Amino acid sequence: MAVATRGTASNYLQRAPSPSGLADVVDLILDKGLVIDAYVRVAVIGIELLTIDARIVIASVDTYLRFAEAVNRLDLTQTEAAGLAELRDGGGGGNGDGKAKGMVEGAKEKASDAKEGLKERVGRD
Amino acid sequence: MALKTPPKTGAREISTSLYCYGVTWAETARPQEAAGLAGKSVEPVRFEELAALTSETPPGKVRARRADLMCHFDVLSTAFERGTVIPLRFGMVFDDEATLVEELLRPRRDELVVLLRELGDRVELRVSAHYREEAILAEIVRENPRVARLRGERSQPLLIELGELVAREVQARTNRDARGILERLGSLALGREVDEEPIEHQVLRASFLVERKRIRAFDAAMEDIASGQAGRIDFKYVGPLPPHSFVGLEAG
Repeated sequence: MAVATRGTASNYLQRAPSPSGLADVVDLILDKGLVIDAYVRVAVIGIELLTIDARIVIASVDTYLRFAEAVNRLDLTQTEAAGLAELRDGGGGGNGDGKAKGMVEGAKEKASDAKEGLKERVGRD
Repeated sequence: MALKTPPKTGAREISTSLYCYGVTWAETARPQEAAGLAGKSVEPVRFEELAALTSETPPGKVRARRADLMCHFDVLSTAFERGTVIPLRFGMVFDDEATLVEELLRPRRDELVVLLRELGDRVELRVSAHYREEAILAEIVRENPRVARLRGERSQPLLIELGELVAREVQARTNRDARGILERLGSLALGREVDEEPIEHQVLRASFLVERKRIRAFDAAMEDIASGQAGRIDFKYVGPLPPHSFVGLEAG
């Protein structure tokens, strides 16, 4: 199964000394850290709310339709071929490189851009 | 460089407040020139063996632009390179030095000292993992015959059924994969904090409290897990960080 696409994988582990994206910084700096009740926190109205808005909730009809579309769009020929090769000679053959992968990654980038955009707006004032 | 100017006396109107980044040992606390919010210098405010890292800020609203959040993070990271630090959450402001000492350092002194001692040789490592959409969906189509059969249907009810089925399969895989990762990494950590809000295609987002001497073992485990999931799950691994997620105090 997972083995089938293993051949396409690069950059599966991104290592960094500090968070790079705004979403990661927000996670760390706004959601965590010591809070004491006696402090005077002059907070940033709306930040918590909006960062939660930016997260996608899984159980909704919209999400189901999106999933269904994604599954229908899926080009299985390469992964299936890889899977069969896998069954046949027990390993290695998977290589789903190329167009399909490019498209999915493009979509993923767009999605995370949108999220960033939202948080960016949150962070702006 | 002089330490802070004394709080303004006289008229009750306050012209500046003190923004607080975190608490560290007085003996390792250092000023950070022009490193604070709005380019102000970061100065330690000391009380006994403790020091709060602060910078002047205009009273009123604290802004939280990207640069401000990064600045808060960077001040703590610099302090963390020099010694142990307890990060405060973004946005803590005190009227002046005296208020900071009276509301934070003095009443919480014992707890802060204990926490700083505990955190002395510990770091936070942060891990997030996301499915590659195409890979996880293909896996589901291959393994669930009903999904495979519904694929290509165009009617709304069947699309919804398909999507719901897929969502359930993704959730089941998320639970299983997250549990596996947490068990493996958790065994190398003293503590862990899992972020619960679900983000689409996210398997896991968690922080681990790890002793410095075990960072290498953690690195190796991380590499091993990630290479085993290559093409299916992408990992982001950040740290060592100041222990943002592990600094709770008792309420009160």
